[in-house]
Amino acid sequence: MKKVITGNQAVAYGVILSRVEVVSAYPITPQTTIVEELSELIANGRLHTRFLKVESEHSAMAALIGASTGGVRCFTATSSHGLAYMHEMLHWASGARLPIVMVNVNRAIGPPWNIWSDQSDSLSQRDTGWIQLYCENNQEVLDTILQAYRIAETVRLPVMVILDAFVLSHTSEPVEIPSMEEVEAFLPPYCPPYPLEPQEPKSYSVITTPEYFFEFRYKIQKAMEEVPEVCQKVEDEFYSRFKRRYGAVEKYGDEQAEVLLLTSGTVTSTSRIVIKKWREEGVNIAGLKIKRFRPFPAKEIGEAIKGTKKLAVIDRNLSAGVGGIFAQELKAALYSQEERPAIFGFVSGLGGRDITPELLEEAIQYTLGHSQPKEEILWLGLKR
Amino acid sequence: MSKQFTFKGASEMPEIPISLGFMDWNKTGAWRAQRPYYLDKTPPCSAYCPVGNDIVSFIQKILEEDMDGAWRVLREENPFPGVCGRVCFHPCESRCNRSFLDEPIAIHALERFVADFSEDQGQKVKREVEEGKERVAIIGSGPAGLSCAYHLARLHYPVTVFESFSLPGGMLRMGIPSYRLPREVLEREIALIESMGVNIRTGITLGQNLTWQDLKDYSAIFIATGAHLGRPLGIPGEKRRGVFQGLEFLKKVNSGKKIELGEKVGIIGGGNTAIDVARSVIRLGKKAILLYRRSKEEMPAFEEEVSEALEEGVKIRYLVNPIRIHSKDGLKRLECLRMKLGEKDETGRRKPIPIPNSNFFIEVDSLIIAAGEEIEFSYFPKGMERKGGILLTQRDGSAGVKGVFAGGDLTSTQRTVAHAIGSGKKAALAMDCYFKEKDSEEVFRRTLIGEGPPISIFRYLHPDERRMDPHLVRFEELNLDYFEPAPRQKESKLPPKVRIKDFKEITSTLPSSLAIEEAGRCFSCGTCNGCETCYVFCPDASILKREGIFLREIDYDFCKGCGICFTECPRGAITLKEEAR
Repeated sequence: MKKVITGNQAVAYGVILSRVEVVSAYPITPQTTIVEELSELIANGRLHTRFLKVESEHSAMAALIGASTGGVRCFTATSSHGLAYMHEMLHWASGARLPIVMVNVNRAIGPPWNIWSDQSDSLSQRDTGWIQLYCENNQEVLDTILQAYRIAETVRLPVMVILDAFVLSHTSEPVEIPSMEEVEAFLPPYCPPYPLEPQEPKSYSVITTPEYFFEFRYKIQKAMEEVPEVCQKVEDEFYSRFKRRYGAVEKYGDEQAEVLLLTSGTVTSTSRIVIKKWREEGVNIAGLKIKRFRPFPAKEIGEAIKGTKKLAVIDRNLSAGVGGIFAQELKAALYSQEERPAIFGFVSGLGGRDITPELLEEAIQYTLGHSQPKEEILWLGLKR
Repeated sequence: MSKQFTFKGASEMPEIPISLGFMDWNKTGAWRAQRPYYLDKTPPCSAYCPVGNDIVSFIQKILEEDMDGAWRVLREENPFPGVCGRVCFHPCESRCNRSFLDEPIAIHALERFVADFSEDQGQKVKREVEEGKERVAIIGSGPAGLSCAYHLARLHYPVTVFESFSLPGGMLRMGIPSYRLPREVLEREIALIESMGVNIRTGITLGQNLTWQDLKDYSAIFIATGAHLGRPLGIPGEKRRGVFQGLEFLKKVNSGKKIELGEKVGIIGGGNTAIDVARSVIRLGKKAILLYRRSKEEMPAFEEEVSEALEEGVKIRYLVNPIRIHSKDGLKRLECLRMKLGEKDETGRRKPIPIPNSNFFIEVDSLIIAAGEEIEFSYFPKGMERKGGILLTQRDGSAGVKGVFAGGDLTSTQRTVAHAIGSGKKAALAMDCYFKEKDSEEVFRRTLIGEGPPISIFRYLHPDERRMDPHLVRFEELNLDYFEPAPRQKESKLPPKVRIKDFKEITSTLPSSLAIEEAGRCFSCGTCNGCETCYVFCPDASILKREGIFLREIDYDFCKGCGICFTECPRGAITLKEEAR
C-alpha cells in the first residue's frame, strides 16, 4: 500500500509493523508527532502496546531498559536536548546489550535556542555504543526501522535511526507500506537471550570487578565488528522480500570519479541532483552517501573511493576545536589504507540553514580548484 | 551465597554479567545513614474535636464501605454520632487541612451518614455493666451525663442516671429544636446506652426528691445538671407577663406545650439559643425580630444557623441594646439604645458602647430574652465552689468533694454538645482511675490526642492499637502531588418556604455514594491508610508485603535510607530520622 506520509509517520508505521510492545517517550520538537501518532493509536485501542508516560527522556530510556531487560521489543523517539538528557542511559542500554531501537530526529542543540536540523545531537552520542543509521527519505525511514530491530536483536546492541528535522520529519512523501504479514515473515518476534523470570530471580549487569569488566567491553567491540556483515545479510533478505536496499554507503555517479562528494541524511538528495548536473557538464564526479555512521563503514568507504583523488565531505555538524565529525572519522579510517585521497572538510547548514545546490556546487568548485584544502575547516555558506 | 563462576577469558563469558543467585547476601541496609519508619501522627481534626473522635479512622472505614466498622470507631469515643453529626459546631472542619486545597471534608455529614446508615442496618449492642463493681450515680441525663454513663458502662460499672424531667436527654431534648435534631435520633442513641445496662430514672430532681444522703450508697457521683437558668438582662420590666426566658420557651416548644405568643416577637440575644428561639417562633407562624447589641461578626451563634435563620425570615437588628420594657395592653414597647463597637474585651470580641441619647422604641407583641444561661447551684454541698459562673473542677473533673465529679455546661463556659460529651468521657476515665487508685493525670497524659485537651478512651482501653504521635500534621507536610481539587459534598436542605411550616428536620443524610465520594477526599493526615505509594516507590524493595498483604514494615536489612518513601508518602505517615552513629 502506498501512502503519502511524513517522515515521522513513516517512523510510526515502522514501529507498528515491528509489533513493538512498549513505547516510552517524552515530547520534544521535532520528534513529538511520532509518539503522538503512536499514543493516539494506543489510546484508541487500535494498537496493543503499552505506552509509558515519563517525566523526562532519561526516564524514557530507563523505562525501556527495564522493558527490554524484561524481554520485550520496545521503542522511543527523541531529539536534541532530549537525547543529550538520555546520555547516561544510552551507555546503559548498550552496556547491558539491549536491542532497543530509538529514532532521533536531528535537531541542533542550544543555546542559542534552535529547533532546526543539524547532526550535533546524534553525533555527540557516537561513543555510547549505539549503532547509528542516517536516513535520506521517508521510505528509507520506514524500511530502516524494520531492519533496525533485526540488526539489534541479532547483535544485541541498540540502534539509533536518524532523520533530519522538518525536511524529513514533517515533510510528506509517497511511501510504500508493507503488509503486516510480509513484515512478520521478515521480522520474527523477539526472543530475549536472558529472559526475566519471576520464578528464577536474576540480577542483571551486577557489579563487575576489574577482573572481568574489560572483557565485557571487548565483547561490545566484537559485536560492533559483526554489524557490517549482519547488516548486509539483513538487507539482502529485506531486498528479496521488498525489492529495496540502501547499503552502509551508496555511491552514485561516475564509477572512476576523481572527486567524490560525501554526504549523509537529506543533503544526499540535493547532492544527487548536483552530481547529475555536473556529470552532464562533463565533470568526472560521483557522490557517496553514508548511511551507517556507527560502526563506521571504513571498509565499504575504502572500496568506494578506489581511484578517487579528492574527497569533499559535507558535515552538518561541528566538533568545536576539530571540525566536521564525518571528515574526522573518515581521516581516521583512511589512515591505515593505501589510497589516501585529499580530504576537503566542509562544515555547513548548522542550526537548519539550508544546504542548497548552489552551496554544494561551491564545495565542488573549491575541491576541483585545489589540490589540497587550504584550511582544516572549509566553511560553506558562512556569513563572515 | 550463590555459586561463583570463573572464566578464563572473553570467549567463555556471557554478554552481560548476570547474577543467577539472590542478592540477599548484600545487606545494603548497612549503608543507611537515616532510617524511615511508619509513625502515625495526629490529624488536626481529631485534636480539635472536643469529643476526641478518631475521625481519620472512621472516614477510612467509610471508604472501605465498612459502615459498621465506621460506626464502631465513632462509638469508641462517642455514644452520640447521630446527634453530633447534626448539631455539633464541627471545629474539626475548621481545622481540616483540606481547606488549604479547596474545602474541608464534610466530617459532620459523614458522621451523621454513618449513624443513620447503621440505624438502618439495625444496631445491636451488648450489655456491658457488671454487678459487683463500684456503683456510680449521675445527676443529669444531658450529653455530659449520658456520655459519662456510656463510658462507665463500657468500663463495666453499674450506673444510675437521675433526670428531673420526665424524659432523658437534657439540653439535647429541651434546648435543641427538632428541626435540627429529630427526637427519634436522640431516642435511638439513648436507647442504645440503656441497653448496655445504664439505668435512667426520670422525674427525680436533686435537692427536691433526691438528697445527697440518698446518694451515699454510690461510690462516686457525676454531676451534670447543666446551665438552664435564663440570665436576666437586669432592666426594668423584664419580669412582666409575656416576657419569656429563651430556654423556658424552647423547653415548652420542644415538649409540645402551648405558648401564647403575639404576632410580632422580639428576641434579645445573639447566641445559639436566641437563634433557636427565633427560628422556632417563625415555625409557630409568628414574626421574629432579633436584637443584638454587637454586630454580626461578634455573634456567638454559629454562622450557618444565622444564615439559615435569615433565609427563614428572621430579622436581625445589630448594635441595639434594650434598656427598658414598657407594657401596655399586652403590647411591649421596648426602649433601646444604639450601640457602637469599642476595643476588644476579654472574649476577643469588640465591646459594645452605648451611644448617648440615641434612645428609640421598638414595638413587639411578645418578648423572649435569650441572653445566656446560668447554672443552678442551690443544691451544692459544702466543699463545692462556684467561680466565674461555673462550678470549679480539677482537670479530672473532681469537684472538691471526695468521689464527686462534675462536667458539661455546669463546669465550662464552652457550652457545646461536643464539649459536654468530652467532659463526661473524661470524668468516666477519672472515676476509673479513682476506683483503681491510678494517677489520673498520668493516664490523661497517655491518652491525650495530640497535645490535648481531648482524650481518647480507646487509647486507654487499647494502648497498643492505632498509636499516634502527638505531632499535629500541617498542610505543608502532605504531598499534594497525590491530591486534586474535588468539591465538598453538601447535605440537601429543604427550601426555606417548606422548612418554616413545621419542626421537621431540614437537612437530609448524604446517600452512600456521595458519602463514599466525600470520604475519598480525606487526606488521612498523618495516618497510613495502606495506599502503598511507599511500596511502589521503594527502589530497594524494602517495603514488605506478606502474601500480598501490605504490612507497614520496612526491611532494614536492605533499606538504604534513601528517604523516597518518606518524601512520596502522600500523608506524612512515615518519619525519617538520622541513624545513631
